[in-house]
Formats: sequence, structure tokens, C-alpha cells
Amino acid sequence: MIVLGLDTATADTCVGLLSDTDGLPLALTRRHEPATGERPGHAEQLLALAGDVLHEASLTWGAVDRIAVGVGPGTFTGLRIGVSTARALAQASGCQLAAVSTLAVLADGLHAAATDRQTAQRAAVACIDARRGEVFVGAWLAGEQVLETRAVPPTALADLLAPLAVDGRSPVAVGDGAIRYREHLTAVADVPADADTRHHVDGLALCRLARYAPAADRDALLPDYVRAPDAVTTADRAAAANAATAAAAAAAARI
Amino acid sequence: MILALETSCDDTCAAVVTDDGRLLSNVISSQEVHDAYGGVVPEIASRQHLQLMNLVVDDALKQAGVTLDDLRAVAVTRGPGLTGALLVGLATAKAIAVARGLPLIPVDHLQGHVAANFLVGEDGAPGLEPPFVCLVASGGHSFVARVDDHASFTVLGRTLDDAAGEALDKGARLLGLPFPGGPHVERLAAGGDAAAFSFPVAHGVPGLDMSFAGLKTSLLYTVRDLDAAHDGGAAARSADLAASYQHAVVDQLARRTVRALEQTGLDRLAIGGGVAANGPLRARLQDAAGTVHIPGRALCTDNAAMIGAAALHQPAADPADVPGLDVYATDRRSL
Ligand SMILES: [Zn+2]
Repeated sequence: MIVLGLDTATADTCVGLLSDTDGLPLALTRRHEPATGERPGHAEQLLALAGDVLHEASLTWGAVDRIAVGVGPGTFTGLRIGVSTARALAQASGCQLAAVSTLAVLADGLHAAATDRQTAQRAAVACIDARRGEVFVGAWLAGEQVLETRAVPPTALADLLAPLAVDGRSPVAVGDGAIRYREHLTAVADVPADADTRHHVDGLALCRLARYAPAADRDALLPDYVRAPDAVTTADRAAAANAATAAAAAAAARI
Repeated sequence: MILALETSCDDTCAAVVTDDGRLLSNVISSQEVHDAYGGVVPEIASRQHLQLMNLVVDDALKQAGVTLDDLRAVAVTRGPGLTGALLVGLATAKAIAVARGLPLIPVDHLQGHVAANFLVGEDGAPGLEPPFVCLVASGGHSFVARVDDHASFTVLGRTLDDAAGEALDKGARLLGLPFPGGPHVERLAAGGDAAAFSFPVAHGVPGLDMSFAGLKTSLLYTVRDLDAAHDGGAAARSADLAASYQHAVVDQLARRTVRALEQTGLDRLAIGGGVAANGPLRARLQDAAGTVHIPGRALCTDNAAMIGAAALHQPAADPADVPGLDVYATDRRSL
């Protein structure tokens, strides 16, 4: 099977191409990482990087059996660029789709990169900066998710992660959220140095996870937003205004 | 033939247009979810576009009786509009074009509104040929332009603040009417006196430019004064308020349009955008020029057929540039 992986959940734009087809073993990745202060380049980079890996492998779009997409959580706009690109590529070429949690990809990348058994046996915590003072977090151990995906303030991380220690070995935390909120993590988890590549999504880890994932239904394939949009209905706004008026009237009546 | 996609605001649209400007399908999936919020919520619009886009494309191809194999190009709105919304359409169009080896034709949304007039109507009526004066008034834009060819237009005047449809939406909200406001204001206004109240018509705005922001402030004060005079005072006069407010919006659009016809010496007028559906505006302008062309409603509000119509006269992007194409949120002509 030839799997093309796309991830735009973080500021990076990540692409992987993995083939385990006989006579055509392939493992290619591309990543665009915005410079400090630069905006993510998802819209401009994603298809270009995907085209690059196919070109390097001398493959056409029609040769891809499955498109894997990281569904976050992460930045809403970035996720939509990844998912709409993946869906449309499948619509145009008729290939399969697979959805993978970007947090699971980070965790899998950590375990796959482990050079010693001890690291492979520690819980892998993936943290993606959720902005507004929160972080998306999830944890995996031996391929099982041991902490469900959620958005939490960084101050909640220590209590969440402390129970994930195995035989006294604390978990390892990676991702841009782990870098940003390092001071909230160091008491309960190891956080690699900022420059460590394990903080970034690995396109090949995405392809590996997607290789054996069930195929996704195109029209049901959506980002894992975790958060609802910020919006107040007119009815709720009116109710809030009425409540405020009533509270003011009650306060006035007490005087 | 061309497959065209449009997702600049809250309608998820796809259409198939033939090379001679005939419409084979024009699918518009309106996101009524926004009505409860009193306006378009960009994040909700973007989420809806993602859910609907591929289905709308499937539907447009099916209704046209064609497959992706029959296309010679893919066209898509690149801007202006809501960034997150535009990105869903652009990412989809780019991916289809690249995977299929088809040219991609990026289209300006406003050029699309102008090009809607070139299309053969659903009733077989021929499109309008340049030169003509074109008024486009909707919830997102209001401008009057001179159209000399199929590929471009010259803005003669534009709103300096709110769009006309936006003014109607905001007025509707002040009058306690649901979103979108235009049709509700028009219905209520039908039973009211348009001369009952005097709202500002931007006399101070030079040339053919327009301004609608002062209008809603004026309505706000009038409603407050009526309610202060006696409880429920504004509600009792709501039909007169709606009629007078609508008149102020229509009057400004009509005056600028008539002046544009005079200045250009042209005797052909096209009207587009959602506000083109407004009865009093149509009545005011129906005799303003020898030829007055108003496309069917589905071609006036945001739609992909107009993007396809514009694409027939726009160059395809260099294939090497297609993967890197990004959207633009604001009108490039104002930069
Ligand atoms: Zn429009």
C-alpha cells in the first residue's frame, strides 16, 4: 500500500509518503516550519510538499492508495486546509482516506524514535498549543491511549500526568505545547530540549498509524476541533440581557 | 466545460458552466445555521463549508450530467471574503485540479458578480454584453461599476463603510426582525409610509461613493426616542420605520446608479447581489436605462455559476504556481 500523509494541525506543514509495496519500499517526508514570527504556511505549502514527495518517488497522484490526514486537535483553519485537501484529493483520484489524531502521531513518533527500551515503555504525552491559555493534551502507552484528548489550562497538566508514571518512570512530553508550557510539566514529565525534532509532527509516523487504521468515510471525515466555535445566538444574547436587566432591577430594589 | 467553486461567505456553492456560457448546474447550499446568531459567524461558516463542499461538488456534477473527466478546468473564488471560508473552497479546487492535471482558474468574487450578467439565463434569456453599468449590492459589498469588457470592470463608486445588505440586516435587528434582514424589512415596509421618517442618505459623500453606517445609528436614535415617548412607541410605528429606512437605502443606491449612467453615457444597466431582489429598488431602476438586466435570484446572491462565468474570460494560473496559491480577504482594488 502507498500512503500519503498530510498534517496541518500545528504551525508546521507536514507530509509523508510510505510504501510497503513489494519492490517499491519508500519512506519520504517533507516539513515546512515557519520561522519565528512567521505565519503558518499551510495553504501555500501543503500541496506543494505533497507534490514534491510524489515527484521524488516518481509516482503520480493516481498511484496513491490511501491519503492519511492528521485531524488535530490544533488550529482550526490549519485543520480545515488539511482535511479539505485530503478529501478533495480522494474525490479526484478515488483513493481511500484515513483520519489520525495528530496527538497520536506525536506520541507514536516519540516511541518510534526511542533508542532504548526504557523510553519505549514510558507514557508518551502529546501537547499542542491550543492558544487562549490552554493546551490540547493526550497520552499513549504501548499503543493504547491512556489519557483522552482534551483542552486544559497548563496548570492542570501536573495533576493529569502524575498518574501516568510507570514503575517510577515519568512520562515524556512533546509538542509545541510542551515547549511553551515546559515549566508546568517538568515536575511530572521529561520534556526534550526545544530544538529536538520529536516536538514536531513526523509525516512518516502519520503514515504508519494510518496504514492499519480503518478507511474513513469522506463525508464524515472532520477535524477533531475539541472546542465549539465562539458564538452566541440572538436568543441567548437576549436572555443574557434580560437576566442582566432583572439582576439590575433586583439590585435596585434592595437599595 | 468548467467546474466552479465558491465559498467566500456562508453559501457552499458549486456549478458547471459550458464554454459558451451556458449553465449546466448551479448548486447553492445555504447555511441557515447563522440565522440564530443574527449574522454570519465565520468559524461556523468555515466548519459548514468543510462538511458540505465535496457533496455540493458531487451534486453539481451529477445535476450537470458530467464527471470530472469531462472538465477542461476548475475555477474557484480566491477572494475577497472570509479567510477561513475561502480556504475550504480554494484547498478543494487546488487538490482536484492538481490530482486531475487540470488548469486552475482563480477568480475574484466581485468579478464574479459582474460576470453573472454574461450567463444565459435559466429561462434561456441571453446574457448582457458589455459595455454596461453594473450595480452590485449585497450583505458583503456595494459598488457601482463600468463594465467595458468580459475580463474586468472599473469601480465608479463604492460604500465607504457598511454594505447595503448589511445596513438592512442591522436595521432589521433594531426593529426586532430576524436575520437575514432584507426580505423581512421589505415585507414589513410594504404596509408602511416611506416618508414617515427622514433618515440620512449620505449627501456629504462625494462622487459615486456611498455610506450606510450613519443610517443604522439614525434608526437606533429614532427607535430610542419613540420608545422614550411612550412604552412600545417604536413597535407601534415599525412598518413606517421599516419603510422609511428601506427607502433611505434604496434611494442612495438608485441615485448613485442613475448618476453613473449619466456620467458614462451608457444606456444599459445590470443589477446584482442579494439586494437586487429588493422590490422597491427594482421599481426605482426599471426605467433608469434602455436595457435593465437583472439575472435570476440564484445568480444574484452568491453562487458558483458566476465564478464559472468569470473564469471563461480569466487566465488559468501557471501550473507551477497552483499548489502555492493562497486566498485574499480584502478587495484588492482598494489597496
Ligand atoms: Zn457576493
